[in-house]
Amino acid sequence: MQLAPAELLLSLVFAPLLAAIAAVMLGARAGRLLAVMVCLVLAIQLLFLGQRFSADGPFDLALAGIAPPLGIRLALDGLNLLLLWLVTLVYLGTSLHAWASIGAGARGTAFWPPWLLMLSALNGLLLSGDLFTMYIGLEIASLSGISLIALDRKADALRAAMRYLLLAMLGSLVYLLGVAVVYAITGALDFALAGSRLPGGAVTIAALLLMTGGLLLKSAIFPLHGWLPPAHGSAPPPESAVLSALLVKVSLYMLYRIWFWMEVPVAGLVSAGQLLAAMGAGALVYGSIAALRQQQLKYLVAYSTVAQLGYLMLVFALPGAWQGTIYHLLAHGLAKAAMFLAAGNMIWALGSDRLDRLPGLDRHIPASVFAFALAAVSLMGLPPSGGFTAKWLMLTAAWAAQAWVWVLLLLTGSLLTAAYLFRVFALTFAPRSPRRRAQPVRRPHPLMELSALALAMLAIGMGFSGTPLLDVLALPPQLLPGAAPGLPAPLHLTPGAP
Amino acid sequence: MTAGTLLDFLIITGLVWLAWQVVAGRELFRAIIMFIALGLAMAVAWARLGAPDLALAEAAIGAGLTGAMLLATYRRLLEHNPAKGGQRYARSSRLALPVAVMSSLLVMLLGLTLVNIMPVEGEVAGQQAIQLMQAVPMENPVTGVLLLWRGYDTLLEMSALVAAWLALRILQPQDAATLPPLSSSIPLLQALLAAAVPIAVLVGGYLLHAGGKAPGGAFQAGAVLAGAGVLLGLTGSLQRSTRASRLLRAGVVLGLIVFSVLGLGQLAFGQPAFAIPGLWTIYLVEGALTVSIALTLLLLFLGSAGVRRPAP
Repeated sequence: MQLAPAELLLSLVFAPLLAAIAAVMLGARAGRLLAVMVCLVLAIQLLFLGQRFSADGPFDLALAGIAPPLGIRLALDGLNLLLLWLVTLVYLGTSLHAWASIGAGARGTAFWPPWLLMLSALNGLLLSGDLFTMYIGLEIASLSGISLIALDRKADALRAAMRYLLLAMLGSLVYLLGVAVVYAITGALDFALAGSRLPGGAVTIAALLLMTGGLLLKSAIFPLHGWLPPAHGSAPPPESAVLSALLVKVSLYMLYRIWFWMEVPVAGLVSAGQLLAAMGAGALVYGSIAALRQQQLKYLVAYSTVAQLGYLMLVFALPGAWQGTIYHLLAHGLAKAAMFLAAGNMIWALGSDRLDRLPGLDRHIPASVFAFALAAVSLMGLPPSGGFTAKWLMLTAAWAAQAWVWVLLLLTGSLLTAAYLFRVFALTFAPRSPRRRAQPVRRPHPLMELSALALAMLAIGMGFSGTPLLDVLALPPQLLPGAAPGLPAPLHLTPGAP
Repeated sequence: MTAGTLLDFLIITGLVWLAWQVVAGRELFRAIIMFIALGLAMAVAWARLGAPDLALAEAAIGAGLTGAMLLATYRRLLEHNPAKGGQRYARSSRLALPVAVMSSLLVMLLGLTLVNIMPVEGEVAGQQAIQLMQAVPMENPVTGVLLLWRGYDTLLEMSALVAAWLALRILQPQDAATLPPLSSSIPLLQALLAAAVPIAVLVGGYLLHAGGKAPGGAFQAGAVLAGAGVLLGLTGSLQRSTRASRLLRAGVVLGLIVFSVLGLGQLAFGQPAFAIPGLWTIYLVEGALTVSIALTLLLLFLGSAGVRRPAP
């Protein structure tokens, strides 16, 4: 049987791009239909590309027939294949939610074109093997994503979007400055080629520092997270879902590419990696405690994102946790998207996002509450779920490396997650106070409930598909034992460990 | 000291002084004017560094259009809150000093690390571009990189501009507020427009055509055309509209459509995607991009999703 040509990679970018153009020209009704259809088409294309990947291994495509250093390379390997699936599935679920919750009216006219453009940019970023093309992808995705926060033009959403925009621009500029330095010293923008040419020394450190700093700001890694909760907390639900599940993840993906694929020859990388991991630990503790203190449902979920992003930094100190980290990225993406959609439905039903309005809601919209609960199971890391598999993998890696501090942190993180999520359940299942019994509850459209439920089921389903998914995920070059001078594996966080 | 060194010295001191005036200015209007001057000085600096393409882009977009946008925003701010006019802040922004110190440190550190970098072993992208130039009927390697070899990037940049316009559709004022038109009966103004707009169109067309062998191209040409549109908008010959007509929307996405179709169409001929074949395709792509860039920049200046003719 003939395998898919590498040119099929282009369609992952251009199918949504052309759909966005069509949505501009034809209006909201067509845009809405196209968004769902494009997601289905992307899924089919990913099946073919995945088949080729499992037969041939990683492959790439040089655009315009010109290889790097001058040309641009699109590349598919295990990591971005999994992330492309995440993008497609999350987009399919959230687009179905938006089908009903945004609709095809005036809001839809403004919503669908940037929504599709963001999908095209996310795919373009994930496929790109070029530091500069990734930057443009991130810019388009951020610009479209940020403008959608303000879709309803409420004052708090506008303020959150403006703050996000300014900080995102700062992050991008800092990253771009780092890329300019890389180009100045290597004459290449392709990350593998440029990485192999990096000379080491002060100038390489400067470039790495700039790129890392910019991306940390864009990924809202503690203590650079300030912009995230208001932005994710005030956007329309499908938009919050995509921001939390995808947009903050792709800038972390870029960070992984830079740290683990460029094979940077810098001696101090180990301690820098530990600093990054320490920021992750800070995120875990701070984000969870902040989530416990929230009075608004969506802000609670948004602070949960701040906390969960912390796990994704673990790999910088503990290379053995690579598979667990990526598994967490995928599982959190699905679970958090489901949770934002479910929370959106709960808020829609109540007409308010105050936590103290929740009591009695379970009887009115059981499907959404159930979706919220399933997503919570995965986020807390209870078996069987994707979150459990991920945390189990990270825990065994930390155990094997005798990094007891991390073992402790991982367990504490799960407990704190359970604490802030159980707070929501305790309220939801509590009986309604007689004073509030008369207040009307709106029923969300079935599509809004089903899409949340489907994404939550996928997060749970990931608990059963560990082996096939992890088989796809090879170790990056820098994390192979003894591959690079910078990062000996495994590392130890505790001073007493050998 | 030669005249060149003296000029460089003046530009550098001027840049630093102007930048300080922008961040530390106590008057908003003055800071905007200083920002425009900074853009112009920056353009001169690029020209001195032998990068005329960048100089053109900086002058047209960095100083010209961005400056016009800032001034228009300032005017809206005054309409909203007249008390802000001429208001002097008691102290300069609290961020000014930290920002200035941090950026200077960053620049100094980068300068120190970059002074003695070694030449790269292996082929550099720039050399590769100059070698490949010999095989194509063009002389400007910048256009070669932007369209022939890294056209995919240029296409994505165009979609970033479209993303900005889509954001504008969400954020524009819904009350269909129009810019207060200047009185069109001023004879001098009409005479100026009658001369300036055709000249701008001519210059834009020249820049587009010249891109093949000299500095210029779609972005510069689009910026100049947008400048003509800005003049028409300021004098009331174009009015803001919250709705974009079908024709206008087609113009905004024209560059994306033409570039995507031509780039992907190569696959049908067994060529690699985005291997732009001949001079005519380059003109086609550049022309379409110019239209889209000019329209998006103009709409971004007007701050509305669409434009319309003034009511008679």
